[in-house]
Amino acid sequence: MSPSPARRGRELPAPPARWRQLFGENGIQRWVFYIPVVFFVLFFAAPMTLTVVWSVFERTQFWMEPGFTLFAYDNFFTSARAENYLYSMLHAAASVLISFVIGFPIAVFIRRRVTRAAQHRVILLFILPFMISELVRVFAMRPVLGRNGVVNSVLMDLGILSEPITSILYSPLGVIIGDVMSFLPFMIFAGFLALEAVQNYVFEVCDDLGTGRVRLFTDIVLPLAAPGIFAGSVFIFVNSMGVALVPTLLGGPGAVNAGLIANQAIVALDFPLAMAISTIMIFTLVLLLYIGHRLFDLTKILEPIS
Amino acid sequence: MTESAAIAVEVVELGKNYGAVTALKSVSFSIESGQYYALLGPSGGGKTTLLRLIGGFLRPSAGHVYLHGRDVSHLPPNRRPTSMVFQNYALFPHMTVERNVAYGLKLIKVPPGDIRDRVDRMLSMVGLEGYNRRMPHELSGGQQQRVQLARSLVLERDILLLDEPLASLDAKLRKEMCLELKRIQEKVGITFIHVTHNQEEALTVADRIAIIADGELVEEGTARDVYETPNKRFTAEFIGDNNVLEGTVSHTSDTRVALDLDFAKVEIPARGAALSTGERAAFSIRSELLRITGRGEDMGASWQVVPASYVEDVYLGLTVSHLVRLPDGTEAVARVMSGDGDENRFEPGQEVAVGWPTDRARLHIA
Repeated sequence: MSPSPARRGRELPAPPARWRQLFGENGIQRWVFYIPVVFFVLFFAAPMTLTVVWSVFERTQFWMEPGFTLFAYDNFFTSARAENYLYSMLHAAASVLISFVIGFPIAVFIRRRVTRAAQHRVILLFILPFMISELVRVFAMRPVLGRNGVVNSVLMDLGILSEPITSILYSPLGVIIGDVMSFLPFMIFAGFLALEAVQNYVFEVCDDLGTGRVRLFTDIVLPLAAPGIFAGSVFIFVNSMGVALVPTLLGGPGAVNAGLIANQAIVALDFPLAMAISTIMIFTLVLLLYIGHRLFDLTKILEPIS
Repeated sequence: MTESAAIAVEVVELGKNYGAVTALKSVSFSIESGQYYALLGPSGGGKTTLLRLIGGFLRPSAGHVYLHGRDVSHLPPNRRPTSMVFQNYALFPHMTVERNVAYGLKLIKVPPGDIRDRVDRMLSMVGLEGYNRRMPHELSGGQQQRVQLARSLVLERDILLLDEPLASLDAKLRKEMCLELKRIQEKVGITFIHVTHNQEEALTVADRIAIIADGELVEEGTARDVYETPNKRFTAEFIGDNNVLEGTVSHTSDTRVALDLDFAKVEIPARGAALSTGERAAFSIRSELLRITGRGEDMGASWQVVPASYVEDVYLGLTVSHLVRLPDGTEAVARVMSGDGDENRFEPGQEVAVGWPTDRARLHIA
């Protein structure tokens, strides 16, 4: 960057050599590109590796010591934990499905029926709940879903129920409701972003060809939004499996998730077991991603449409 | 309009408002069956609105659209005998070329064997044989527009609407595609309505051109008429490279109107205009008809001559433009072919005379 004589009037004094060394092409400028690598190693690769390694360590009274034993895995698969884990996957799948059924039509509605200028503001409305701590939001479901909660009293006042339903709370149903409430916006965001990339012309062509509503959805909207739907689904599934907070507050016997099972192991100071559960979770998710990749080709999520 | 040819499109007092904004004000015209018709005008003039009203993508605020004599004003696009080719990005990005073209036929439940034949035939018509399995993102802009064309033509509807179909192509490709469109239209023989803001494009493809500006139909005629003898001043300013001059009517006869330009008096063919003495009137001369000579040189009896001073010459490749300034300050352009006596005989600031053949000037009433 040699100052050109034409710009003499606006010339700045040259920075001192030491600054250039620090911030120049051989200083921070060069290292800045390695930040993602550092981030990946520090917060992803290293913890994951440690998780897998620690899962085979010997348990001691308060911590663990190096060794190799599959005791933790044996403990997991021969107790009710394995069964609970499978149910947790089932509940997470149900949350994904319900979020899709509720959230995707909202995304389609915003993309197709809300005027362009207002679309992002409407999307912003769905971000607002995130301004409140998830703990508070999930906890607030208790007075709504509980025995004497809003849902039960309204249904009883309307004469639809004679006895309050007690199975909404502290049950798998409560956990699924909590998960859907917490993670639904992710389906809306991902679906909307996928649809936003679809040009308006595409919908006009459908009008011209006479694509009916059903075929417009199955032939055009769904395939074009599929990568977005998958991304949203993965996010909801992972959180439903892993966030211990929801089943802690809304779950009960048999209504736990993988995160809570691991949490309970930590509370019991059985660290190898907690690590084994986490390892199983990692491999479950990698397997699901692999299946998803074979089905949808995940690289398309990042590929611009058209 | 001759009675012999069937009318494909008739638009009667068609208007469109968006709230307080008027996009189209009461436009009426008709298009003969089998014509290549261009709607030409500046951006935001209402030509795309007009096309969309014909195609059924917009509902008119006033007036009617008749296609083959049938009032279709309130029918959706798929129930009209029209099909639209959009500006760009309008292919289904997740379908192959073949599936894109076949999709419309599948919707109306054409048997699969027929679909394959018709799709192949259409792809070869637009010059894309063997591209069946390509995805849209693997195609160039020109190829994508060809696929769109095939997708519309394969439906065998009798009116094709093209909304700035070549706007995103580079100049050379646009020229090629223009000729290609013209060739395809002659082959299939259906009515094409082509919206463009590019006059060269309109002149290349169209049998007839309608000039649309400010939500109104300014003028309508054959490509040659619109270029050579525009009636309206707007048309003269919009199409071609015209010099528009204004003056006061000093004398009228059956065939001629004498105009006082303040610095010179000229005679213009009257073209049936009813003007009275003292009125303001404008006329135009195409720049290629303007000739520059030295002061006092005789051009001939059938020429109108006014004084001017030479400004400069601008080399444009095919042509050279010579700029002169008239005594009232307006600039005029005389264009000659390059290498055809284009060597500059004049110095900037030199007093010259410009002239044009009397019968080639066109009087504009509005």
